[in-house]
Amino acid sequence: MKNGPLFFLGLFASLTFSFAGVVLFANAQLGGLTPYYDDAEGKSFPERMPGVAERGQLVYRDLGCVSCHTQQVRRPGFGADQARGWGERQSVARDFIHQPNPQVGAMRIGPDLTNLAGRKPSALDAEDLMKLLYAGQGAMPAHAFLFETVKVSGQVPAKALKLTGNLAPASGMAVVPSERAQVLVAYLLSLNTVYDYPESRPFVKAAKKTEGGIK
Amino acid sequence: MSTATTEVSAIDTHARVPVLLLLGFGLVWLLVSGVLALMASVQLHTPGFMAGYAWLTYGRTQALQETAFVYGWLGNAGLGLGLWILARLAGSSLRAGNWIIVGGIFWNAGVALSLAGIMAGDMTGHALFQLPSYAQPLLFLAVGAMSVSGVLAWSDRRSEGTYAAQWYVFAALFFFPWILSVAYVSLLASPLRGVLQSIAAGWYAQNLLTLWLAPLALGAAYYVVPKITGRVLPVYQFAGLGFWTLILVGSWTGGRHLIGGPVPAWVPSLAIASASLLVLHYLLVLLNLRGVFGGGGTSMKLLAFGLIAYVGGGLADAVLSIRSISVITHFTYFAQAQQQLALYGAFSVMIFGALYYAVPRLAGRALTSATLAGGHAILIMAGVVLLVVSLGAAGWSQGHALLDPKISYPEIAAATRPWLLGASAAQALLLLGNLMLGVNFALTLSSSLLASTAPVYAPPAKLAASVS
Repeated sequence: MKNGPLFFLGLFASLTFSFAGVVLFANAQLGGLTPYYDDAEGKSFPERMPGVAERGQLVYRDLGCVSCHTQQVRRPGFGADQARGWGERQSVARDFIHQPNPQVGAMRIGPDLTNLAGRKPSALDAEDLMKLLYAGQGAMPAHAFLFETVKVSGQVPAKALKLTGNLAPASGMAVVPSERAQVLVAYLLSLNTVYDYPESRPFVKAAKKTEGGIK
Repeated sequence: MSTATTEVSAIDTHARVPVLLLLGFGLVWLLVSGVLALMASVQLHTPGFMAGYAWLTYGRTQALQETAFVYGWLGNAGLGLGLWILARLAGSSLRAGNWIIVGGIFWNAGVALSLAGIMAGDMTGHALFQLPSYAQPLLFLAVGAMSVSGVLAWSDRRSEGTYAAQWYVFAALFFFPWILSVAYVSLLASPLRGVLQSIAAGWYAQNLLTLWLAPLALGAAYYVVPKITGRVLPVYQFAGLGFWTLILVGSWTGGRHLIGGPVPAWVPSLAIASASLLVLHYLLVLLNLRGVFGGGGTSMKLLAFGLIAYVGGGLADAVLSIRSISVITHFTYFAQAQQQLALYGAFSVMIFGALYYAVPRLAGRALTSATLAGGHAILIMAGVVLLVVSLGAAGWSQGHALLDPKISYPEIAAATRPWLLGASAAQALLLLGNLMLGVNFALTLSSSLLASTAPVYAPPAKLAASVS
């Protein structure tokens, strides 16, 4: 490698090639994805995130929740995602098109949260999530710093957590969620990929549906 | 004494301040990241640890330790050694040393700002790219300033031909600003839509390892190994092929971490195929550097360990990225084990090895304590083995348990807990070992500064042979 300029050209071309091949090509394929309009329902999917959930996604990101939780369901039959009740269908790129900060994740120290708000038979409600955040559970650390313990004079605040046992605050005190906790919970309650897009249906199943057998 | 004067030449005296500054900064970050890594590891089996502090919640300690280790330790030490090697192979004094000093200060200000930003919650949320957006321009400018010296050393070289160590170091200098700016634009300045961010972030993270850290570590190894053995590298004519395979193919392997994810299937498929092709690179590096197994001092032991970790990790990546295995190991501690094998076992240990060769020459005297050096090497090797085995075992059991929906999350946590305790013990060993390195480095430097006479270091006779 005596030729310096040729050497640099090689380096430059290699990286440009891989950037074009991986990122730009994927962008050409997926960058123009549009919401899917369903005639029967009369609206498009995925629906936009409420503003409060979008703010909650930022809290989710800055606390690093993504280091333990994924938000991607693998296709039925590949892993036990479906059997664990995380989702009936695989996650697809279209699910994320409205999300400014998608939190796809790569670690499952905790469960997948793609459809947290749509768990069967019963999903956690706001109060359950608040308690879970406040006290932690199992391997999940407590996030008590998202809450304030305030003095109660007169009526107990409506937002105060109903805590019992050794979690209960001292008498005359109440634990109320901060704004960050509230937007985070609003975000968690927005997590539900309900709509079944054409590309999210298993290929084999679609083939079976056609009249007259396969092919 | 003629051999000693050729060994410790004017190149080293000119390089002394800038390079030792970068190495010193690197060692500080190594200790900081060691403390943070130990904390993050403890939090995995004892979730209550530091849970009361928002700035040290697990999500943040994890990002902090990774950032301090990669940009703080590996970045500083790798760049410092790389620039020194470029100057030495050019055969002329290190030029633009002031640019390295200024760049080094900016770089470390950027790392410090990044850590403060992550504590405050400004991380980007992309693995290995957690640097807050406002800290990135600092790192970009810093590496630009330091590269001035590298460019001058390249164009000043006495001989027309170039050596493998030069290709690797130079490629690393060139690629880092490239990938950082591309990631900055596509993830922060004008973010790509939805899941494309995951693809771009995966591309960046892979290239950070493949095109920045690996070349810096390999550059150091390709320089130091023939210096110590005193022999030309075997099958050196294939070193170029090994280099270009890494550059051309390695850059495509990032999509392995998106297997089964919400991306087009070609993204992971392409990465799996590339990981298989990359086996050629690992085999060629093994052939070139096989001289390290001939034995020798602390340097050689560490380089041999690093080479085994690098080649073994690369071959394991190729096998383990196959879908039928990935379905078990993906999303588990097993992936962390693979990453630690590369970051710590391969890159960091190779840099340790090169450090033990470079510091005496730069400081102008032998390391103060051979005992501390030997102890450091033993603790690091034991720590890396324990860490990778513990995380790997934790991940394997976690992965199998996740495949069985009847096993609940508390049961998985209970099953992995013993292994995670092992990982914490490993982090403690590593921290202890690195403390020994830090003390040894500080003692050597202070005795070098206190000495009023000219450098007295004379390398052992068998090191005097200079073959590149």
